[in-house]
Amino acid sequence: MMDSITRKAGITAVVAFGVVLVSSAGYSIVSAQGLPEGFKKGDLAPEPSAEMIEAGKRVYFTKCVWCHGVDGAGDGPGADRLWPRPRNFNQGTFKIRHTASGELPLFDAKKPIAGQNDLFETVTHGLPGSAMPPWEGILTEEQRLQVLSFVTTQLVKDRKFTDKQSESQTVLQLADLKPKPASDESKKRGSELIVEKKCVECHGMEGRGDGNAFNLKDDWGFSIQPANWHKCWNFRGSRQDPYNVSNIFRTFSTGVNGTPMPSFADNTTVDERWDIANFVNSLCERDALGNPLPIDPLTDKPKINFVIPSDLVEGEIPADIEHEAWQKAPKRYVAMGGQITHKPRNFVNRIDDIWVRSLYNDKYIAYLLEWDDRTKSVAEAKLPWAPTQVNIDVKEQDPKTGEEGSIAAHQNNYTVYNDAIGIETAVKWKELPAPIKPRYLFGTNDQFPVDIVKWEADGSLRAFKGTGWDKDFEERDNYEESMKLLKAEWKNGRWYVMIQRPVGNKKDQDYDEDTFFEVGQYIPTVFFAWDGHNGDAGRKMAVSAFFYTFMNPPVPQETYIYPAVIAVGVVLLEGWVLTRRANKKKGKTL
Amino acid sequence: MKALMSLGALLGVAGILLLGGMTFDIVPSTTIRLVEGYMPIQMLLEVTCYVAGFAGLSYMLSAMGMAMPRFWQGIGFWAFFLLYLKYRVYPPIPFSVRAMYGTVSLVAVFMWVSANEEDWKKFKQPIMNVLDAQTGMNKLLRYAYLIILPILIGGFSFNAMMPKSEEPIELRTVHPAPPASTKVHGKTYTLQTSQNPYRVNPEGKYDQEFSNANIVEQGMGRLMKPNANPWDDKNTGYLKYVREGGEIFFQNCHFCHGDNLNGRGLHAFAFNPIPANFTDPGTIAQLQETFIFWRVSKGGIGLPNEGFPWASVMPPWEQHLTVDEIWKVILFEYWHTGYYPRTWD
Repeated sequence: MMDSITRKAGITAVVAFGVVLVSSAGYSIVSAQGLPEGFKKGDLAPEPSAEMIEAGKRVYFTKCVWCHGVDGAGDGPGADRLWPRPRNFNQGTFKIRHTASGELPLFDAKKPIAGQNDLFETVTHGLPGSAMPPWEGILTEEQRLQVLSFVTTQLVKDRKFTDKQSESQTVLQLADLKPKPASDESKKRGSELIVEKKCVECHGMEGRGDGNAFNLKDDWGFSIQPANWHKCWNFRGSRQDPYNVSNIFRTFSTGVNGTPMPSFADNTTVDERWDIANFVNSLCERDALGNPLPIDPLTDKPKINFVIPSDLVEGEIPADIEHEAWQKAPKRYVAMGGQITHKPRNFVNRIDDIWVRSLYNDKYIAYLLEWDDRTKSVAEAKLPWAPTQVNIDVKEQDPKTGEEGSIAAHQNNYTVYNDAIGIETAVKWKELPAPIKPRYLFGTNDQFPVDIVKWEADGSLRAFKGTGWDKDFEERDNYEESMKLLKAEWKNGRWYVMIQRPVGNKKDQDYDEDTFFEVGQYIPTVFFAWDGHNGDAGRKMAVSAFFYTFMNPPVPQETYIYPAVIAVGVVLLEGWVLTRRANKKKGKTL
Repeated sequence: MKALMSLGALLGVAGILLLGGMTFDIVPSTTIRLVEGYMPIQMLLEVTCYVAGFAGLSYMLSAMGMAMPRFWQGIGFWAFFLLYLKYRVYPPIPFSVRAMYGTVSLVAVFMWVSANEEDWKKFKQPIMNVLDAQTGMNKLLRYAYLIILPILIGGFSFNAMMPKSEEPIELRTVHPAPPASTKVHGKTYTLQTSQNPYRVNPEGKYDQEFSNANIVEQGMGRLMKPNANPWDDKNTGYLKYVREGGEIFFQNCHFCHGDNLNGRGLHAFAFNPIPANFTDPGTIAQLQETFIFWRVSKGGIGLPNEGFPWASVMPPWEQHLTVDEIWKVILFEYWHTGYYPRTWD
């Protein structure tokens, strides 16, 4: 008895001592060695062998040179049309690291270990949200190490990975820093800290990357934008594991070299950094139950369901997003790509996804569209070309970087058009044998047109008829009366737009222009989005693939009757089998 | 024999645990990745491993005196195979195809359990036992089945009849039959006789062998041949054209078809289906160079109906590129993937 009490007391004392130790450590941000908390001095890795460098050259000139260029200056043939631009290796500036701000990343040609080889991990997992793909499964582990040996020794020109005089390495000990549980308290503290530490100045009040959207430039003078915390799958350092809070902790602790994102290691404690990381992580889009969205391993983006279900409501469709009917309606992720196939081509697409919900009643169908757009754009004065015009004269090739009017020079400096969103549906989808549809960029021809409803940030809601990707829209008359804009609001980097249109009925519908929305049918639907500050207008826009609007039918009576009949049938069948078996055993025959 | 069987059992248990862990997200689902272009082979190998594993496992269990009834062995393997198809294979295969594989494997299981009279009897025994209900346990089971079966079947049919909004399945022909000839920039090209004008030797003559000798090495991680760097300034002929084709590719095509030509470019995630993967042995490696020329020139719009022209964003590249540029891009695609174009003989 006595024994157990002493033991308990001992344990309590040890725990208390530990608590004191840990909490006191929390107060001194800089440890005894003069390093930020959580960091340790590391050693520079030895230079890779000459054979590895030579072999890496072959990898580089097969796979990497096309974007990063012959001299590694980030100026390959693809570079001018990419945004963000490919890395310029010459200065030795790398974004995603475990090392302190300004230091070279971890790279050791002999150590492909997670957490100990930043460059290897970047090549392995790619940089989501940019054009850099994951090279795992394409290049072997050895080839990835070889190409990095070449890049770090031959293409990094201003610094040397092995120069002990000028380079040092202070390594974030991420493996030893166990994540703090994402409790409500921790997240709340994080939400206060991002205001206190001025994160919101760039990343915006809701973390949609809408603060300071125009003034940010990287070390090379190219325009860049702050991360949108709601799209963690686009975090460059997400390492194909977007909901992992450690990745955010790492970026926040080490900063992003070459960009205005600083390291916060010196003015936050480890505990505070976990709070912020927990809060930022909690903002990333999740499903209705709060679980992370499933990520498609083919694309490293959320998995897509191509059906937009629409639920029936009695009476008027509510215009309030907080209304129960909208809250219950399933929310679908619609991925958007840049329209780069027809002139003018949109290489620097700014809107990469929208979220769609839908409701219908006996007369109308309404879509609630939400998408992140860092800027509210409304066109002023007269514009060089009408946004509804399709056939405009566009030069084939944009000027190269350095020349006037290049994409790089244009960034954040375009003529401002209206932000806009469009819903395109096939008009005569019932006449087309499934799965045939009209061509999705503005229809096939007069025989199979599409019906386009377009909202613009100037408050207009108009409908058009599209009869081919190479023809102008035809504006539909008298249609404005039947449509209704239930809501259009831009708030902290996000648009909320609710559009209501008639479902059509058999009596007075104009089937040559109108889509007939029929309950229980798959109605081909495409979404278009325009970012006005990106110079988006006409065909310079973001496009989705074909989705389907599906108006959920009320459950028919038979659904309840037939299964009951089947169940009774099974019971009878069982009885028959058992009787037969019993009779057979007794030697009787039927 | 025993050692072999034990090894099999070990393999089976490890595999089952791994797959189960990956299915239920205990082990990261990317622990064993399906390698691009080798998926069918990999699946066959995996299934073979599992068959060996199961055989070894059942042998071990019976050696330890805990033999699993033949009935549960059969049912268990079948259920395992269905789960494998549903959760392991990615991109997912439609239910109809899974149902086909499921039926085939059910037949295989039946053939296995009914290979001889004795096996078949052993297999039937548990069913008969329940039907006859000689023991208390079996009697209980019989009543349980009597109640559970109608509920289950009724439930399934209710579930099947409930209106649902699942994605409709659309089976698209990936390589539809090409036309005999195609007209690009006002000139007619007969697909059977046209040749890539840039597949030339240093003398400037069309030479398949010469360009083949400069094609990258086969296998995963394809790289250029030593001393065959298209970026060398001294290059003339084939390799110079490869570089020019690559420049055009990276200015126009890689946004969708990807940096590694595997259909996973910057914008690819938005499209359905995602763009063609040229590193897959089923695409350009199976086709003639002129087929690619026709596809690139005419784009999605030029496809016949079975190729789903409405589902493709691929533009008719003749509107953006000259004929020469199109041929150079094709040259680059074969060089970069390490495949040889098919010829007409």
